[in-house]
Parts: sequence; C-alpha cells; structure tokens
Amino acid sequence: MKKIFIVISIISIFITTGAVLSGCYVSAKAANKSGVQLWGENCNRCHNAPGPGEFNNDNWDLIGTHMQIRANITKTDMDKIVEFLKSANN
Amino acid sequence: MKRLIPMAILLLSCFCAQAQDSLKVAPKSSPGSNKFIVYGNAEMSYISNTDSKSFGEVNFKPIFLWRISPKLFVEAEMEIETGGGSVALGLEYANMCYAVNPYLTLHAGRFLPKFGAYRGRLAEGFMNRFASKPAGFGDGGIGASVETGVGALGGLPFGDIKILYDLYLVNGPHLLTSTSDAGQFDYEAYISNNNSMALGGRLAILPFSKSNLELGFSFQHKAKTGDLGSADENVSLDMQAIDLNYFQNISGIKSTLRISGELRHQKVGSDAVYLKSDGETKYGFSNSPTAWYLSTSIRPSLVDSKFFRNLEFAYRYSSYTRPSSAPWGGSNLTSNEFAIDYWLHWNSLVKFAYQSKKEEAKTFYASVVFGF
Repeated sequence: MKKIFIVISIISIFITTGAVLSGCYVSAKAANKSGVQLWGENCNRCHNAPGPGEFNNDNWDLIGTHMQIRANITKTDMDKIVEFLKSANN
Repeated sequence: MKRLIPMAILLLSCFCAQAQDSLKVAPKSSPGSNKFIVYGNAEMSYISNTDSKSFGEVNFKPIFLWRISPKLFVEAEMEIETGGGSVALGLEYANMCYAVNPYLTLHAGRFLPKFGAYRGRLAEGFMNRFASKPAGFGDGGIGASVETGVGALGGLPFGDIKILYDLYLVNGPHLLTSTSDAGQFDYEAYISNNNSMALGGRLAILPFSKSNLELGFSFQHKAKTGDLGSADENVSLDMQAIDLNYFQNISGIKSTLRISGELRHQKVGSDAVYLKSDGETKYGFSNSPTAWYLSTSIRPSLVDSKFFRNLEFAYRYSSYTRPSSAPWGGSNLTSNEFAIDYWLHWNSLVKFAYQSKKEEAKTFYASVVFGF
C-alpha cells in the first residue's frame, strides 16, 4: 500500500509541477494551431470528427465540455475547436 | 485519511495553476438559449451461429448534458438494454464536474473510470468497429468498469506533447464468492461492500504534436474487496492496463488507418478462500488473469467515390488468459474477428462481422448503430 501512495504522490507532484509550468511552456507550433487543425487531430483520434453545422452554438459548448472531460482535451484546444465548429452557424 | 492526501495535493495544484493563467470565462448564454442537450445512441444486433439465429440486443443509451455555468457541468447516461431477455434500466454514469482551471477538473458521482482506453471511450457503439467485445473485456472479463466516488482529471501541454491524467478514489470492485463465479468481481457495484476504498488513475502521453498517438498506463488498487465481516474481506485486488490508440491519414492509398490495443492484468490477493458446491470444502487458486486485444482498421476515406469512402474494413485479435483452477477458467480464450462497416453518418453505421472464438461457435454478427 505504501508503494501506491508513493506512486500517487509522485504523480501528484508531477501534475502540480506540470500545471504550474504548462502555462508558460507550450511550443509556438502547438500554440499557433488553428481550430480546424485541432478538430481534425483530436476528434479523429477516437471517432470520426463531426462536421461544423452538426449542432447549434449552445450545443457545441455543451459537447465541447463533455469531450474535454471524456478525452482530457485541454481547455485551450477545446475552445479553439468549438469556435471553429460554431463558425459554420454564424 | 492518507488516501485523501493526493487529492489535497491536486487541489493545491489547481490554485497554483490558476495563478499562472487568467481564466477565460465563457460568454454567458443569451436569454432563452439552451444549457441542456440529449444525445447518445441506439443500437441493435443480429446474431447467427449453429446454436442461434436471432435479432438480439437492442440498446438505447441517451446521454444528458447540463452546463450549469462555465465551471459547473453535469453528464449522465442511462442504459436501456434488452440483452438479458427483458428490459433492463441502468444508470451508466451521473457525474458532476467542476472546472477548476484549464488544466484541472474535479468530479464526483458515478463515472466511467479511465482504466485503459476501451472502456468509456473506444467501446462505444460508434467507435467499436465490431459488433462484439474483445475476449476478456465484456461480461466475465476483467478491469474497472463503472465507479462511484471522486476524481480529478485534465490535460497538460508540454512543448509539442501533451500529458493526460486521471486520479480517482472510489468504492471499487466487489469480490464474488458464489460457486460459479468465485474469484471474479462486480465492477459496476452502486455501493461499497466494506470499509475500504479503491485508488486508481491513468497517465497518458500524446508524444506527437499532431496528437494522433496516445499511449496510456492505468492502475487501480483496493486493499479489501470482500464483503464486510466475511472470510474474504481482506482479499486485495491490483489492476493495471496499458493502452495504445493511433490513427493516420495515408494519402498514398487515400485511406485512414487506425490501430488500437490494450492489455489488462489483475492480481487477486492469495488469501482468498472459496467454497465448493458441496458448501463445505474450501479451496483457493492463483488468480492473475490477463486480457488484451489489438485491432486495426482501414477506411478509404479520401477517395472520390462516396460509397467506397464510407466503407471500413477491420480486424481484431483478442486473448483472455484465465486462471486454470478457477470455476470460470480452465483454458485461455482467443478470438479473431473480421468486420466490414458502412458509415451512414459520422456516428452512425452498419456493421457486418465474423467471429471465430475458441470454445464457441463461429458467429456472424450484424449490427446497426445510430448516434443522435
């Protein structure tokens, strides 16, 4: 049981450090990705990517949050993806 | 109490991380706009082998999503299934989530734990290219399934790569001790059966900048899995899983290639003692089953012909190594499955699959899945 606690503690420290550092360590290549690019990369990893226009703007917000939780997609990426998906409705 | 320490550290991390980033608050919805949606899927299957020819399981799985505020979110899924011969109603999950910052979400309720990538994601009807489950991943198989408790999850970018994490504290599986299923577990219990809780999590990495490869490691530990006061109360359970999920568009053959796989292993404490069918004779056995699968599919998604780009061809091999002395064991199961799918929509398809599984009749499956 002690081993488990040690492992979890290491993971927790890793996450803590990561959360602190990640705000200032994202490569320019990753930071400059567009919504359409992130949509193609992240959605397709598990399933066919739904097209823009599939849902209305409010529903995209809900589905985006759901996918953020289900697939651990970062909020920054998901915001860009949702904005792209909403663009077809505007 | 000690188990709450990691959670406390995580909470601390959220405040540190929040200090680094100014949170973008989502714009408020306009009056009368929708904060609620129902979506999900419906599916039906047909099975044909030497023993049976029937239209079988019909499942209806609505998913309810509420966004109470930019930080508060509820997700819930009901399962209405007929596979058992009558209508079964179940609560797949009801999970309340609080977005602490862009990198951390806390959640509580009944949820699908990230134990591997199959359960909770790739097993969904419109993601599983087959009409059945890999050997050892369905009923009678192994691995965490649905849990009740609390957890933390998120994703962290590091340069070009991303790290995904999940950590949870839950009631955990219950050890089963009846004659036929001695040494197996109820992985979907609604309540706890003793004073012990399970600690689990998953750490995954997306090593490529285009996020098309995900590699994950999951674990779960529970010190006591038997019913309170029973002889088997102190039987422990340790589970691990590694998973892989990859996709690539290959322009040379105008197709999308997908490869996914997962290996699960669990070890049950050696102090477990069960009763034989006579109700008196005690026995035990080494209980360390392993299950894994590897599947690949190819879809000519980049060709001009609409008919051909909606076709997908898939193959899956799975193996389930069971304890030789268990009443539900005896030999290893292996399964070869071939499938041809036709996509009607991004989340709706028709599946035709052929399965050759050791110790079972060769089976043809057809399945219709509509996402809505």
